[in-house]
Amino acid sequence: MIYILLAIVLILVLWIASTYNFFVSTKTRVGAAIQEIGNQLKRQSDLIPNLENSVKGYLAHEKGILQMLSDARKMTAAGQDASQKISELLPKLQVVVESNPQLQSAGVVTNLMDELRDTSDKVMYARRLMIDLTADYNVKRATFPSNLIANMFHFSALQGLETPADGDFLKVSDTDTKTPKVNL
Amino acid sequence: MQNIYEVRTANKIKSAVIVILFVVFVFVAVYVIASALGYYWGYQPGGFGLVGIALIASGISSFCSYYFSDKIILGISGARRATPTEDKLFTQVVENLCIGAGLPKPILYIIDDPSPNAFATGRDPQHAVICATSGLLDKLNRSELEGVFGHELTHVKNFDTRLMAVVAVMVGLIALLGDWFMRSMWFDGGRRSNDREGDAGAIFMVLGIVFAILSPIVGTLIQLAISRRREFMADAGSVEITRQPEDLISALEKISDDPIPMKNANKATAHLYIENPFKKDGHGKIAWFAGLFDTHPPIKDRIQALQKMI
Repeated sequence: MIYILLAIVLILVLWIASTYNFFVSTKTRVGAAIQEIGNQLKRQSDLIPNLENSVKGYLAHEKGILQMLSDARKMTAAGQDASQKISELLPKLQVVVESNPQLQSAGVVTNLMDELRDTSDKVMYARRLMIDLTADYNVKRATFPSNLIANMFHFSALQGLETPADGDFLKVSDTDTKTPKVNL
Repeated sequence: MQNIYEVRTANKIKSAVIVILFVVFVFVAVYVIASALGYYWGYQPGGFGLVGIALIASGISSFCSYYFSDKIILGISGARRATPTEDKLFTQVVENLCIGAGLPKPILYIIDDPSPNAFATGRDPQHAVICATSGLLDKLNRSELEGVFGHELTHVKNFDTRLMAVVAVMVGLIALLGDWFMRSMWFDGGRRSNDREGDAGAIFMVLGIVFAILSPIVGTLIQLAISRRREFMADAGSVEITRQPEDLISALEKISDDPIPMKNANKATAHLYIENPFKKDGHGKIAWFAGLFDTHPPIKDRIQALQKMI
């Protein structure tokens, strides 16, 4: 009889300890998840302007060459002497063709788009972890029997991702019902 | 329409039921066969002493395959390490999912094989390995890859390698015991004398024979049922990370529509792949029966389960 009682007490103590530890460790992990969001935002703000500038530089370079090419074509088409234009253009064109067999702005832009998607995915997933952890924590805090432990040790509810509880995003307006068109 | 939390709870309960069923079955089978052995040899502790030996024998082989699972499997399947520069998409996708799942970043490997498939292994999340075929990385787009690696990361998160290793030890234990029992009957069938047995002994003898024959099969069937249930769990877990069931559905369709089976697939790792690497899904008329011996649920059922979450 005494052993049964001891076993019950032991199980109870173990359960209390593990539930308490769940709350404490999840709270810590939520803190870490919030820091991770900051970390990813920092990465994003370091990365994007740099990428933007290098892509811009590249595009401007190619655009200049293409502009000169089309100017020269227009002049010959109009019967003017384009030799001046062409002699200006040729050395630049040579450099481009030697270093890049084809003009590569398409690849550069695709790469930029990949990086943009990757960085916003990273921030999104960092938020997802924080949201999921707070949800687990809050569910455990509210449900029986773990709510007894939560109340005993005063574990307060965590807010998670702060989102306004109502506003325009809960309504669909007429313009939202139309499929967006992409204009480039 | 089911939300992801309901699916998670339902899967946990179903998985727990199968695992408990398995544990009960193992206890009963071991008890019966060991008792039969004990009665047969004329002293009762004998049978249970053998359980210890069988457990050790079955345990050692499975422990090795569990503890060194990553190295063994990678050695067998001829995988190479993925590099962040050359396999950028692969690294990026897994890295992002790990941020979302709160897991340490696993080691990534690539098998050069046109058949699209992927698997995860390793004894815990700290030693996790995710391996993709080059076919998978070529044929699937980024969102679909997220679905696939979400599935693999859930296997890691749920300690599925560990669970399946323990299950394999138990099935091996039963098979060994049954085998010993049958062999000892074969070799010294004439040694038995009637005065050593009571009624209980006779019953245990009959039960022992029945269990020795049937329980390795039944054990394997339950083992496969657990494996299939864990696949459903991994699918749901993937959706839990990405929240995009459509992408996992289209990934599964692409993978199952691909006609090429894997070159280096092997049975020991089949349950870890996202889809059965042997490509034997359509069984025709005896589907329900042949399905009992599959490590993976039919793609159709998996897609159905995912469609409920959309």
